[in-house]
Amino acid sequence: MDVTAVLAADTPFPPSVEDIFTPGIGGSVWLTKFSLMVWFAVALLIVFFLVAYRKPQLVPTRTQWLAESAYGFVREGVTREVIGAEGVRFAPYLATLFCFLFVTNIFGVIPPLQVSPNSHIAFPIVLAVVSWVLFIYLGIRRHGLLKYLKINLIPDAPVALLPLLIPIEFFSTFILRPITLSLRLFANMFAGHMLLLVFTLGGFTLLGASNIALKGVSLLSFAMAIILTLFELVVAVLQAYVFVILTASYVQGALASDH
Amino acid sequence: MADDQPTKRPDDESGANMGWTAVGYLLAGMAVWGFVGWLIDRWLGWHGIATATGAVLGTAGGIYLVFRKLGG
Repeated sequence: MDVTAVLAADTPFPPSVEDIFTPGIGGSVWLTKFSLMVWFAVALLIVFFLVAYRKPQLVPTRTQWLAESAYGFVREGVTREVIGAEGVRFAPYLATLFCFLFVTNIFGVIPPLQVSPNSHIAFPIVLAVVSWVLFIYLGIRRHGLLKYLKINLIPDAPVALLPLLIPIEFFSTFILRPITLSLRLFANMFAGHMLLLVFTLGGFTLLGASNIALKGVSLLSFAMAIILTLFELVVAVLQAYVFVILTASYVQGALASDH
Repeated sequence: MADDQPTKRPDDESGANMGWTAVGYLLAGMAVWGFVGWLIDRWLGWHGIATATGAVLGTAGGIYLVFRKLGG
């Protein structure tokens, strides 16, 4: 097929694992495209917020306005909404988490990067473990270990049902939460990356087809790639929001006195 | 302080949140008791009877918890 001729340039087809999770730079395990992107995101956020708040003004500049609305959104829309007035002390953490997720997710559609670090399961796992440790720690500190376990593990149900229900409560609260938190983010970002890959590479493959009608269909494929890129933009914001709001809701659950 | 805050009732939470809680309970019920059943199967060589029973019981427990926590 002459498809290969067109693609031969340097588009790997079909893409292999190494094309998505590129091997470390200079054979290093720690210095990969993904870890570099994470450092870049961290640097970007630090510089952005430092610049935005360097000379805070009553009538904010555009950068200051952007930073303030990002923080204000998490503080009012997530923290105060979900946890209540008490939750404001978690606003800095949740806002940092939100901005970090937002930036790293958005990398998935930024041209030279084209992939989000969160499409590698290792990164969502670390973030989910942080949230997991946080809500368990807060719960134990608030109620004491025994009372915290009692609140979380013993539902309001007939005693005869408790042996059936307690393991379910344990599994869903302490095991399933970090897993679903990380998997949801990972799967969304990875699937998004796959979708874009399928339609972009599909477009090139169709363009290289000998059949003129198939060449025409490649336009459709490229159009889909563009539409899905916009869609991925929405997913990036949405998943950052969902992660933060779930973390907030776990924190709220840990601090709540009754259940 | 925390005490003068009205305690959040589950139905104050967003629909999506409730959905995930429900899915979590159903999955947890099935997985936990299905796994226990599977262990019993392996132990006594019952060829899947205990796994099936466990998964059904666990699902029932999960549904019960969903009703308890989310239903009114």
